[in-house]
Amino acid sequence: MNTTKSRAVIIGGIRTPFLRAFTDFMRIDTIALGVAAIKGLLERYPIPWKEIQGVIWGGVILPSDYANIAREIVLDMGLPPEIESLTVSRVCTSSLSAITLAASAIERGDVDVMIAGGSDSTSNAEVKLPQSFVHKAAPVVMNSKSTVKDYFRLLASLDFKKDIIPSRPSVRERTTGELMGESAEKMAARNGITRKEQDLFALQSHKRAAKAIETGRFACEMISVDTPDGKRIHTDNIVRGDTSLEKLAKLKPAFAENGTLTAGNSSSLTDGAAAVLIMNEEKAKSLGFTPLASLRSWSYGAVDPKDQLLIGPAISMPDAARKAGMTLKDIDLIDIHEAFAAQVLCVLKMIGNDKFAQNRLGMEKAFGNINPESINVHGGSISLGHPFGATGARMVTTMANELKLTGKSTALLGICGAGGVSAAAILEAV
Amino acid sequence: MTDFFVNLGKHPGSRKLIKLLKLPIVFPQELSRSTTAWEVRPLENMNIIVGNVRKTQLTSIIAKTLASAGADVHVQGDTSTLMVYNEEGTGYGRIPKQLQSNTLLDEFKPHAFVFDASGMQTASELQVVYDFFQKKIKYLGTCGRMIIIAQHPSTIKDIEAASAARALEGFVRSAGKEIGRNGSTSLIIYVDPEAHDRLEPVLRFFLSYRSAYVSGQPVHLSANVKIHELPYFTRPLDQKIALVTGAARGIGACIARTLAREGAHVICMDRPSENEPCARLADEIHGTLLLCDITSPDAFNSILDFIQKKWNGKLDIVIHNAGITRDKMLVNMTSEIWSQVLEVNLISIIRVNQALIPHIQKDGRIVCLSSIAGIAGNTGQTNYSASKAGVMGYVQALAPTLYDNSITINAVAPGFIETQMTSTIPLATREVARRLSSLAQGGLPEDVAEVVTFLSSPGASGITGEVLRICGGNFIGA
Repeated sequence: MNTTKSRAVIIGGIRTPFLRAFTDFMRIDTIALGVAAIKGLLERYPIPWKEIQGVIWGGVILPSDYANIAREIVLDMGLPPEIESLTVSRVCTSSLSAITLAASAIERGDVDVMIAGGSDSTSNAEVKLPQSFVHKAAPVVMNSKSTVKDYFRLLASLDFKKDIIPSRPSVRERTTGELMGESAEKMAARNGITRKEQDLFALQSHKRAAKAIETGRFACEMISVDTPDGKRIHTDNIVRGDTSLEKLAKLKPAFAENGTLTAGNSSSLTDGAAAVLIMNEEKAKSLGFTPLASLRSWSYGAVDPKDQLLIGPAISMPDAARKAGMTLKDIDLIDIHEAFAAQVLCVLKMIGNDKFAQNRLGMEKAFGNINPESINVHGGSISLGHPFGATGARMVTTMANELKLTGKSTALLGICGAGGVSAAAILEAV
Repeated sequence: MTDFFVNLGKHPGSRKLIKLLKLPIVFPQELSRSTTAWEVRPLENMNIIVGNVRKTQLTSIIAKTLASAGADVHVQGDTSTLMVYNEEGTGYGRIPKQLQSNTLLDEFKPHAFVFDASGMQTASELQVVYDFFQKKIKYLGTCGRMIIIAQHPSTIKDIEAASAARALEGFVRSAGKEIGRNGSTSLIIYVDPEAHDRLEPVLRFFLSYRSAYVSGQPVHLSANVKIHELPYFTRPLDQKIALVTGAARGIGACIARTLAREGAHVICMDRPSENEPCARLADEIHGTLLLCDITSPDAFNSILDFIQKKWNGKLDIVIHNAGITRDKMLVNMTSEIWSQVLEVNLISIIRVNQALIPHIQKDGRIVCLSSIAGIAGNTGQTNYSASKAGVMGYVQALAPTLYDNSITINAVAPGFIETQMTSTIPLATREVARRLSSLAQGGLPEDVAEVVTFLSSPGASGITGEVLRICGGNFIGA
């Protein structure tokens, strides 16, 4: 244990391109995506490997045989096997969790150098045989005394429909049985968010992301990835720079008849990974790195999934600011994860509502009115894609770079997730 | 103890057949009930129609209550009323809808009507009440609620306004009888001007399915009792110590279970002869067993010793549930059974309470079980009715003396409840008794237990010295 206690700083971050599920990354699993991101990170920020003390990795769709993917990434990459590794799963907030856990460990004085990030390959979600098959078959197969007769009896007992047909990976909320889009659709209706507002926000996301890609803004935080079929992937493939309000308006509602959510104003299933290098500030100095930012505060929370599933950031973001002793005026940049345009707009509506602040935050006044145009300066999950486990690390990286590039001093991040969980963090320029 | 007719009515086939044969059989609506622990939003996604005479100080309180309880509100009222509902609703992501016309769509079945009549100034404004309900009442969903909120006549200086406020009570009583057939209930909540902040938990409870068997009566909220803790909407009885007498069986056992479900530690008290069922109950709800005959002259000493030893003399809730019947016509009634009933049902309550009250904590609650028999009277029950009416007199007289201790004391008067006790009533009498209420069916012990639990919660601080009937709107009794 190192005893020099000082704050944790972000040296930099790298991500793979984010690709729509079942496209070029289809044959690359979440472990391999993680390896690609960390490899890129260590090329961009060369650090003696022996200095790395741990990897904390976020993931949502985990392979059931190797759930601690952080460990598999370390081993697959050929990093020293002594590097400890931990996988965190807190739905879409996973890689932000990984980053704040790493920062905690550093600021506690446990370690000096950590890699944190996350990856997800929705293309590789496992399709499983029904558990009833396992419960029927295992007692026969696992028993050495089973006879041929027992196997025949087992075969006879299997119901094709119930026991054999594999179940699709469920993306429904476990307690409410709702698809996340259905929950967001309800939120939009309850808060009076129109289709037009959502499409406008989606358009903004696509335009900004396309511009960032064109101008090379993401070059400093992205690496190319070689696929098994010999292709080299340089860039994201979800963003549509040429989309327009008219095109978005033509799309059919995706989750409800007469609904307002469409494929155009929702984030899509994505494959990708992102990694961030975090160090003790003193250590960074001694290794000759110039840090981008530090974590001023963070806040995790949760809401009742039956109520407004994705409203959490409206609680966590003001709470993170309260912990930092800041108000909206002190915040220069805001980045909110775009699960759905509707969800972002609902969060902004609640964050500006005095009654909400009184009911849910115990604060007299609302955190403040935030113009949708003022957030997500380089687009977000709608246009860039949303590999669940990687989104938090992507946001931290983009905002940390943005602080450096613009000379601004603070950035507030907010993420919502399944089960009603939420996270927020404030980055501060170093 | 299932009700044959309630079950029969659940099957569409039998319903059709009996209609076809033109049999004079009524189908009571099976009541919706909540048996799980209190939830954050008991009115989740329920449509509630609100109206008023004019905007008042209560408007924002009602708006907040409904929005925070998860209801979808439809407002009939002027622009200023709508603005208040809008402001409160947006804070919960529930923007209210404005009701355009006085008639509703056929497929729209709201869960409840809430009418704020606290702004009523003249008797002629009763017309507004008629206009609000007359066209809409037929659309009320099954097991719906109709609640009017008004200022108590005794606190209104203006004579005409006071008369009008009282008129609403009659309206509610009659309407309750009319809507009972589909399982719906009616209620008027009288709120004193100083007690506005005590309305929310009360309105939540009576709009929820937990008040299934309470109908056709007034509830009075006052600010007489001081408050030390704010109401909670989930696990309201955490860290409370509750004593339930007669806990071994029937309604008592049900009350003990419900109090425990909401977080209370329950001392299950009954006679030593009830050792086995009472011990089993105490074990089930992780409570404590106390075997003690409430009629013994030193019963209170045993209780005091017990709570002194186990809980440092701390006690928060006392439920006087123990009771007996010994029915005989007055001409045949022996002095022995007369005094037996009065001793258990009334005198021992007074004696035990006197000793316990100094030990009851701030925000303490006492609930005594009375009976509809104490209001309406029953042949062969002069002793029982006297004791149960005596309990009502007792809570009314004792309540003011406990204002400063911030303890409330109330009575509940169950009507026909399906228990072991009522299952011994001869079939014909039992059938008649069941149908003698607006809801045309007997209540369940759970119905009593939910009301008693509510009265034991911090949110019921506005209610004291009251008698609440749990009788499904019994035709006799007020």
